Order: sequence, then structure tokens, then C-alpha cells
Amino acid sequence: MSRLIVRRLLVSLAVLWLVTLLVFVATLLLPGDPARAILGQQATPERIAALRAQLDIDAPVWERYLNWLGGVVTGDLGTSTATQGPVNDLLGDRIGASLVLLVAAAVLSTLVGLALGTWTAMRRGRAADHTVSGISLVIAALPEFVIGVALIVLLSTTVFPLLPSVTLAPPGEPVWSQPSQLVLPVLTLTLVVTPYITRMMRATMSEVLDSGYVEMARLKGIPEKTVLLRHALPHAIGPVAQVIALQLAWLAGGVVVVEFLFRYPGVGQALIDAVNSRDVEVVQAITLLIAAVYIVVNLLADIVGILTSPKLRAEVTR
Amino acid sequence: MSFDKRISRRNFLVGSAVLAGTAPLLSACGGRSSAVAAPTGAPRRGGTLRVGITGGGASDTLDPHIPATSPDIARVRNLYEPLLYRDHDYRLEMLVAESLTPSPDARTWTATLREGVRFHDGRPVTPADVIATFRRIMDPDDPKSGAASLTMLGEVVASGDRRVEFRLTEPSTVFDDYLAQYSLGIVPADFSVDRPIGTGPFRTQDFTPGLQSTFVRNEHYWRPGQPYLDELVLINFAEDDARINALLSSQVDAIDQVPVALVEVLRSDERLRVLSAQTGTWLPFTMRVDRPPFDDVRVRQALRLVVDREQMINQVLSGQGRIGNDLYGPFDPAYASELPQRRQDIAEARRLLTEAGHPNLDVELVTAPIQAGAVEAAQVFQQQAKAAGVNVRLRRLDTTAFWENYLSWDFAQSFWYTRNYLPQVASGSLPQSPYNETHWSDPEFLGLVRRADRTVDRAEREDLLKRAQRIEYERGGNIIWGFMNQVDAHQVYVAGLLPDRTGLPLSGYSFREAWLG
Amino acid sequence: MSTRSTVFRRALSLPQAKIGLTLTAVVVLLAVLGPWLGPWLTGHDTTGFAGKPFQSDGVAGTDGLGRDVFTRFLAGGATLLLYAVLATAIGVVLGTALGMLAGYTGGRLDSVIMRGNDVLLSFPQLVFALLAIAMLGPQGWLLVLVIGITHAPRVARVARQATVAVKDSDYIRAAQLYAMPRRRILLREVLPNITGPLMVELGLRLTYSIGYVASLSFLGLGIQPPSADWGLMINENRIALVVEPWGVLLPVLAIAVLTVGTNLVTDSLASAAAGREKEVTA
Repeated sequence: MSRLIVRRLLVSLAVLWLVTLLVFVATLLLPGDPARAILGQQATPERIAALRAQLDIDAPVWERYLNWLGGVVTGDLGTSTATQGPVNDLLGDRIGASLVLLVAAAVLSTLVGLALGTWTAMRRGRAADHTVSGISLVIAALPEFVIGVALIVLLSTTVFPLLPSVTLAPPGEPVWSQPSQLVLPVLTLTLVVTPYITRMMRATMSEVLDSGYVEMARLKGIPEKTVLLRHALPHAIGPVAQVIALQLAWLAGGVVVVEFLFRYPGVGQALIDAVNSRDVEVVQAITLLIAAVYIVVNLLADIVGILTSPKLRAEVTR
Repeated sequence: MSFDKRISRRNFLVGSAVLAGTAPLLSACGGRSSAVAAPTGAPRRGGTLRVGITGGGASDTLDPHIPATSPDIARVRNLYEPLLYRDHDYRLEMLVAESLTPSPDARTWTATLREGVRFHDGRPVTPADVIATFRRIMDPDDPKSGAASLTMLGEVVASGDRRVEFRLTEPSTVFDDYLAQYSLGIVPADFSVDRPIGTGPFRTQDFTPGLQSTFVRNEHYWRPGQPYLDELVLINFAEDDARINALLSSQVDAIDQVPVALVEVLRSDERLRVLSAQTGTWLPFTMRVDRPPFDDVRVRQALRLVVDREQMINQVLSGQGRIGNDLYGPFDPAYASELPQRRQDIAEARRLLTEAGHPNLDVELVTAPIQAGAVEAAQVFQQQAKAAGVNVRLRRLDTTAFWENYLSWDFAQSFWYTRNYLPQVASGSLPQSPYNETHWSDPEFLGLVRRADRTVDRAEREDLLKRAQRIEYERGGNIIWGFMNQVDAHQVYVAGLLPDRTGLPLSGYSFREAWLG
Repeated sequence: MSTRSTVFRRALSLPQAKIGLTLTAVVVLLAVLGPWLGPWLTGHDTTGFAGKPFQSDGVAGTDGLGRDVFTRFLAGGATLLLYAVLATAIGVVLGTALGMLAGYTGGRLDSVIMRGNDVLLSFPQLVFALLAIAMLGPQGWLLVLVIGITHAPRVARVARQATVAVKDSDYIRAAQLYAMPRRRILLREVLPNITGPLMVELGLRLTYSIGYVASLSFLGLGIQPPSADWGLMINENRIALVVEPWGVLLPVLAIAVLTVGTNLVTDSLASAAAGREKEVTA
């Protein structure tokens, strides 16, 4: 089994390397000249030439790739063409802001998903089960910005004007300094992810609850609550952990639209900005970052999968 | 967080109108009194003014000579001062210089420095500083923004304790106009961006690129009593609604660039004031006169006749603007107001197109969000052109891609702030202009402009300029459908912000006159 | 050979599928007929001006350029639907082909295809689309292609798994014995026997495609102005959400109903296919 895990690890590393190549080539193909992008209408030929020299755009491609890769390995993401400062500095706060969003949404959706899944598994076939399944089926179908807009209309602008619909903290202040502005983005992401966890938990829990050892525990006269917590839950958590991990991986990419909708100063917004200003280094850094998170979380999901069941990986991907 | 029961329902509705449910809530706990009356009487000293400004980013700079974005310009306007600049009515106003006079042949201009003008560190401004400033701007290895329009500048020499001579390589009767640019701020000879010292009303205390800058009063400022504020905080805002929210929730005291579609909504909020200024800012469609089909003057005139200018102002600017007559420089004393206003005339447009052999003209218009309203204007134009059987295909690019092939698009858009006629011609209508979008090089026009450049007699010069304008009116490549108002907003307790014709937002970003009631 | 019809019949017998089909049909009808109905009902076309910007003229007010929101709403679904269907088709066809090939052939080809899959999968779909659009500009064919390509590895995974499950069955061995060419075996013998999971994938990918095309348009990177499009309309009109909410609410509602409808159908297909699988294994 450990050989399987090591192999999986090596594959992940290879994939990550291929991703760096792909990202680098893709950004090379970006049309537009960063020098022009920085100067805008002020771009006179002289100033463009001066800036191009300064930015070192004219070195050979392979040399630029190796330099960049070396930097990435040592944790230096390079220099932003737009700011001419380190990408690390540029992304520091934004990574923090995005992480706040992701972790809050992950914790919330996991707790709610597990609880709802267990609850409905115990009430299989009853009205509550049908209601929850129906609602989660509906929500699972909705694109994240549709959920976001619906929440804005419901909780911010029209029905109950309670919460801010855009990030209010002035630039420079940490996003959590005004917790109310976090509510809607976190809620949106939570709603997007929870249905999948709920459904998987319900399915797994149903199977576990029908199994022999749970039956046995019940026959021994152990209280239902203990049966659930001590016997059923540990068995159900393995396969569900995989789904949770995959959903978290999805969050890493899904955060782009949600940040755009709520003007949230995270990595996703930065990515859209960087694409627009042809800030190649930043596009590379963020794409790689998101891909790395995605790969690592997928790897974890697979390891959990290998450890808990020899079956092929479940097909719950998006 | 406590909910203030006294919030009027009206405020509440307006607050939530702009995607901002909590705005009134927050303002209730913001601690500021909600007095509604605008301050009157003599300006009061003291306080901090917080201004939300559109755009900016990690490439923000304090460099006086290469401001690129709105926050850059706002910083430059308050930290530095050029020899002269424009006042709110777009008249020349002497600043670091107290006078600027041409020689009879307009080849030498002499500036006399104002007495008592000091840099932020207390040193007086000397001719050496002025010379060093222009050396920095004209640096052949790294020319700054202002260099492009000073191509006639030969050398700058001192001619006395307070005198500087600008010697030109060719005569220029409006050289004073060229020097009146915000990107020509005077800095000390030993200037470096790390120590951003100028003569402006404020000096830097704190600066974080992409986020905000904090400026404090310059105690050495030469205008007695000014600035009134103790502190000025300029905050970057990338997005329209975030900026408006910040204003509604009293996180900032003033914001620039209110989306025109929301003017009415903001006007109905009694806590706010909308500042709408008529400007000479224009958002033209540019046709390359050297490329088919626009090389045929009949096609150009037809497309100008296709435009319903009132509808443009209404749909694109929500009425916040004045119609144009395919001429720029509306505040120039020589503006050709005698030329008849061009109006939509579909029949005539069709006739011209048929005559030119393009009865079913099909053109591509390149557009990009280079300025609020640009893509919208392109869409309205596309719609209007349909009536004359002209099929306009929109090619919408992002701004980067747009600028990359800027000047080579056959049919595109541009954006210009207020300028007077000759400086505008120098920037965009001469073969050697840096931004000749229409590739305009009409010999008769060139002759008139060249003569005007050398004609010191004002009446004679204005006559030449009116003739040049008639040529552009009859065969130029710009479709100038209107001049946009600059619309900003501020809290009612902010005073001293005036409508400014330059096209720069919020009193031309000049905060030395601002005060808090 | 009757898998497909059984799964379909089973799925359609579920009330959930009927609701889903009805919802989908309503929006599809609206999207298809809307462009013709609009001008006839409101007297405006999608790009004409009905009044000043953000006024409450007409059924649902005007947008930021003073165009009639209701007309644009009626016309705003056609392109979205077309792109989503095309992207789904590309994704499912490509993914099925790759997955069947990998699963059936096995060995090195399998590894190469599936590792290639992993690389593609390690890009979140939207980030991939963002990169591609930044490279080549927001064009319709690119949108369709990029979304299709990002679907392919996900479909391939399912197709491969299903192929592996049936490839040792008697009828395929028989076909191999008769030296039937590989392409024929895949098309004639394997494909008909994996339609169950593929139909589910088709539904799932269609639901996501609708979401992605709309999301990209919402980000300003999809369908471009002055086209009337639901995703784009949400972006154009959200600044005036409270003054003139219909420009946002109508398209949001339509997208929601459509995706919910397709998802309900997909879910019924999935339970029908799962039910059949259980029967087979039992």
C-alpha cells in the first residue's frame, strides 16, 4: 500500500511539473506587451523601449522558464511586471483573504454536510429526507454566481437589507476587520459545496447503518447515540473525506467568480486583474498556486481513498 | 453594532439602492453627525479629507512626471506644482512662475519665478531646480510623459536670480499652454522618488502603492492660509460600487467618477452632493483618413451624419454632457462656434455613401473599456448606423489589446481630456504627433497651423485657427459627438470643491481649497 | 442492447424527471422562441432604445443604455443554450472516445491518456478557460472548445471505468474472436453497453456547461456586447439592482430554472442507471 502511495506522489509531482510547463507556455502566448499595458495611452516608443529593457522581456524563452522554475522551487515567485515588486508581496494579503474565505466555507460546509447527511440517512424515506434531497438537488444545479445574486437580493438589497453585498473594508485593512462583509461570500461558497457532501454522507451513512456491525451494536443494547458516534461515523467518514477533499479542491477555482461578484480582494480578483494587465508573472503564480492546491488536495483525497478502500477513486468530480 | 432608529426611510432606500444594504447602518455607527445643511461662511481649518479614487494598482507612483492613473494624477496635483496650470474655468493660472512672456519671434519664453515659493523641506525654488526638472523630463534615455508635447524645447537656461529662459527650436506662440500640464511639476535639483519633494500644498506622510496615500499640510505653501486641511487621504478603489458604498457608508468623504446612470439616485440622498462639471473631455470615434473606406471624405461625412448626438448624450451619458460638432477644444477662445451644428441626417448620409460607392457600407469598429461610456457609445453608434444601412461590426477588446495596436486601428475610439486647440493639434493631429489616431495630414490644414504657431498677434492667430477648424469640420477623421460632464460626489459637509473644466475629477483633484464644515 | 431505452423509460417514470423535463422545456422554448417573440410583444428590438438608462419603462424597465430589458431577456437565452449544448457535445464525444480507448486498450496508451487527463484535471475549469480566453480573445468557438475540452477528462474517467467493467464480457470476447476491427468493437459492442453512465455524464456536463458559459459571460469574458445574453445582462445591470432589479432577476431566474431542470433529469437518469446496475449484479 505504501508503494501505491509513493507512486501516486511521484505522479503528482510529474503532473505539477507539466503544469508549470503548460502555465509558462500559455502565458507566453498571451497577446499584448506588458510594457504597453503598464504605460497605457502614455506609451511613446521611447518609453516602451526603456521599460522593455528594464523588464528583461527580451531574454531567450528557455532561460526565462528555467529562471522562473528555479524561483518557484525556492519559493520566489518572481517580479511582477506591473508593480516591479516581488509577486510574493503582492499576493501575500490576497492569499490570506482567500484562505479566510475558503477555510470558513470548508469548515461550515463540512459540518453542515455531515450533520445533514447523517440526519437524513437516519430518516430515509421520510418527508424530511425528501425535502433535504430535493433542496440539495436544486442548489447543486445552480452556478455559483446565481446563488450569490440570489443571496444578495435576499439578504442585502431587496428583501431583507441586512448585509453588505460588496467588500467594504478599505484597501489595506484586513478583510476580517468587518466580519459582516464575509457572510455573503462564505455563505455562497458553502451553499455551492454542501449539497455534494450531504448527498455523499447520506449514501455512505445509509450503507453503514444497514451493515452488520451496526446491527450488532444495536443488538448489544448500546444507546443509538453511541452507536452513531462510535460505530457508524468512523466507518462512514473515509469515503466521505474523499468527496470533501474534492469539493475543497473545487473551491480553489470556484472562488474566482465569487470574489468577482462580491469584489472580494482575494487571489481570484487578482487573477482577473493580472490577465487584464498582462502581468505574466502574477498570472503564472496564481494559476500555479490554484493548480498546486488542486493537485495536493486531490492527492490527499486519493491517499485517503487508498487507505480506506481499494476500489477505484469515486467519480464525484466536477 | 447598534441600529439607529432615526434613519429616515428615504435614506435607507437610497442607501440600499446601490448594492449596499448596510450603508446607512454603518453610517449610523460611524460617529459623524448627520447634519444635512451644507457648510457656509469662511473656510474652516483642520480635519482629514478622505477621497476614494478610481483605479490605480500596484504600479502606483509618486513620481511627479509619469502619472498614469487617476490616483497618480491626484497625488501629483497635490504634491507638486508646475510653473503654471489651468484654473477651474480653464484659464491659465501662474503657480511656481509669476509670469511667462514670449519674445517677439515666439522663440524664447522667459519665466520669472514667484518669490517665496518653497519646497516641502523649506528650500526656495531656484532656476537650477527648474533646469534640473526639465532635464529630468526630457531625459533622452527615459523621457517622461510631458516630453512628447515639448518637442520644440531646445534648452532651458538661467538668466538671473529668478529668471529662466526656455529657448525653442521653432517658434511657438502657445508655449505657455504646453507648459501648463500637471505632469511638469517643479522638483528640486537633487530630487529622487524616494524623497518626493515638491512645492504643492501637501507633502507625503505615507504611501502604499495600490492602496492609499496619506498627505499632510505643507507649512511652507505659498498661498496664505491654504491648504485648509490638516490631512488628505487618497484611497484607491477599483470598482464603482465599492467606491459608492464607501461614500454611502461614510468611509470616505468624496469619490470621483460616479457612474452617470446613478446620478439621479445619488442626488436624491440628502446626505450627499453630486458635483457635475462641464468639461471639454471627449470620447471620439476615430477614422483613419489614409485607409479605405475612410480615405473617401464622403464616407467620413456620412458617418458623422449618421450620429444622433442628443441620443448619444442621453443613452451613453444619461444626459450628463453637451453635444459636439466634430470639433475639439471647446474652451479655446478660437473655438469655431460659428460653424453650423451638425445633426443626424440619414438621407444625406445614404446619398453620400451611395455616391462613394458604398450603399451598404460594412465596417469594423474597435472598442474597449478605455473610459466609462466607451463601449456603450460604440453600441449606440452601431444601432444608429443601422438606420443608414451601415453595418457596424463591434470588435470589443480588453484595454491592453486595444492599446497594443493603438494608432493602427482603421476605425476605433479614443479619449481626451480638455485641451485648447493648438496643444490638442500637437498631440493628435499632426504627422509628427505622438497620438495621431486618424493619420490626419492635410496640407492646407498643416499650413494654417504652422502659420498660427508663429503668429503672435492674437486676432490674426484666431482667424487662422478658425480656418483650420473648418477644414477638420469638413473633412477630418474624428466623430466628436459630445463632451462628457465629469460627475463626482461628496458628503454634504465637504466644502470648497468646485466644478472644474479640465476634465479631472473633484475640483481637478485640487484639494488645497477643500475644507470640512 | 436495450439499455438505453430501459434507462430512459425508468428515468421518465420518476415524477422528478417529469418536473425536470417540464422546467427545461419551458426555458428552452423561451430561449428558442424569445428572439422572435420579443419584438412582436414589446415593439422593441434587442439593441434599440426604449428610453433613458435604468428607467421603469415597459414590462421590466430599461438597462444601462436605455434598451428594453424584457426584449433582451427574451432574446438572451438562445446563444447561451447553443454554446452549452455544443460544448457538452464536444466534451462527451471527446471524453467517451478517449475513455473507451484507454479502458479497452489498457497498457501504455491507457497510462498516457489518463496521466494527460490528470494534467488537465489539475486545472480548475474556470482558470483554464480564463487563460485560454486571455490568449485568444473571447470568441464563441473558443468558449465552446475550452469548456468542451475541460469536460473531456471528467467524462473520460467515467467512460474508462465503464469500459473496463464490460470489456471482459462474453460478447466482446466473441467479437474479438471474429477479429472485428477495434473501432468496430468500440462503436458496436462497447458503446451501446455503457450508455447508462454516459447519459448521466451528458446531463451533468450540460448542467455545468450552462453554468460555465453563463459565468464567463458574467465575468465579461464570454458572450460580448451588444448581444443580449443572460450572463452578460446580470453583469451589465447589477449596478442598478435595486433601482431596476428585473435586468438581473429575470436572467438569474431563467438560468436557475434551466439548470435545476437539467439536473433533475440527470438525477433521475442516474438513479435509473444505478437501479439497473443493481439488478444486473444481483
